[in-house]
Amino acid sequence: MARSDMTTDRLIESLAAGLTLVRPLPSPATRLGLWLAVSLPAAALVALGFGLRPDLPTLLATPSFLLELVGAALTAVAGAYAALCAVVPDQPGWKLWLPLAPLALWSGTLGQQCLAVVLRIGPAGLVVQPDVMCLPAIALGGIVPALAITVLLRRARGVRLAHACFCGALAAAALGAAALRLYHPQDAAIMVIVWQLGSVALLSLLGTLIGRATIAFGPA
Amino acid sequence: MAEEDPSLAAWMRAAQQGDGAAYARLLRAALPPLRRAARARWPGTEPALIEDVVQETLLALHGARHLYDPGRPFLPFLFGVMRFRGGDVIRRARRLSARHTAIDDLGETSAALATNSDSDQTLDAGAVRAAIARLPPGQRQALELTKLRELSLEQASAESGLSVTALKVATHRGIKTLRRLFHGSK
Repeated sequence: MARSDMTTDRLIESLAAGLTLVRPLPSPATRLGLWLAVSLPAAALVALGFGLRPDLPTLLATPSFLLELVGAALTAVAGAYAALCAVVPDQPGWKLWLPLAPLALWSGTLGQQCLAVVLRIGPAGLVVQPDVMCLPAIALGGIVPALAITVLLRRARGVRLAHACFCGALAAAALGAAALRLYHPQDAAIMVIVWQLGSVALLSLLGTLIGRATIAFGPA
Repeated sequence: MAEEDPSLAAWMRAAQQGDGAAYARLLRAALPPLRRAARARWPGTEPALIEDVVQETLLALHGARHLYDPGRPFLPFLFGVMRFRGGDVIRRARRLSARHTAIDDLGETSAALATNSDSDQTLDAGAVRAAIARLPPGQRQALELTKLRELSLEQASAESGLSVTALKVATHRGIKTLRRLFHGSK
């Protein structure tokens, strides 16, 4: 037996000798279910707390609004799923990039609306007014989803932590933004792009940094 | 990919239940495919470094047992762990070798300069890694980051989320525990 084999054999003996029972982590789909079970009611409570927009029934019948809302909600779901998959070593890489599709739908719908306004009224359609409510409101709607994904990722503590944190933060912020659309009467596409998508981007980056600091590698 | 031996997944499931004998059987059975996979992923790498990858993969697998889904095959999970942990090992080795300067004129006298032979160090590496694997989580993490992966305190802090002071304390305690483990076993 080669010397390196002897060393590896000793390592195996030591690892096996100190073995303890571990509870296997549920599958990413099951954990996504847990995340949704906590996050959806929390985001809905925030929307109901602020009071739903009176024109919501009409808006929900508008394809562009509906597409935008579905894009934001699917970004949240796909982001959380990607985060939960990322930490598991044998999950395929394509699952990690799932949020890109709904994110493209969401931002594409807003971009198309913005373009339509510019074509109709010219550069005046690109004027951005201050809307200080968006950032804290999205953060408020995303706080429980963010805490929930942190708990789930902390229990996993696996690989690709930065990617998982980014996707998890994106999921929380996107859910906060989806909730915001239900109670905040701001429909100018450029305003939604700058203040709402901008807040989601900012919160995703911030969440990644906080997440990486919070979710340290450690025991199962 | 050929279908894997179902015993591997069964042994891993038993290992999750704390069955040490099944775990030892699993790790021994997994060694040949693990070495093959490491050689295929990093072709041309010297055998000692491949063995480092193998050992680090086993250690990382040990810390990631809870992430294994009992309903899935085992080898893709093991190879997944190898890709990430092995990548760290290879990057660290290349970084170190880039810093080294070859000294050609030492020749056969170089052995006389060594206070301990390299073979003894190689022999002890497995024991040290095994001892680190058995440390309390905080101390193990600090030593893995600062000593095994040789990250700076700032890099280790960024990766772990722990403060530099906490890392220093955990590293210090880890070394003390290791010292106690080794002196206690002699």
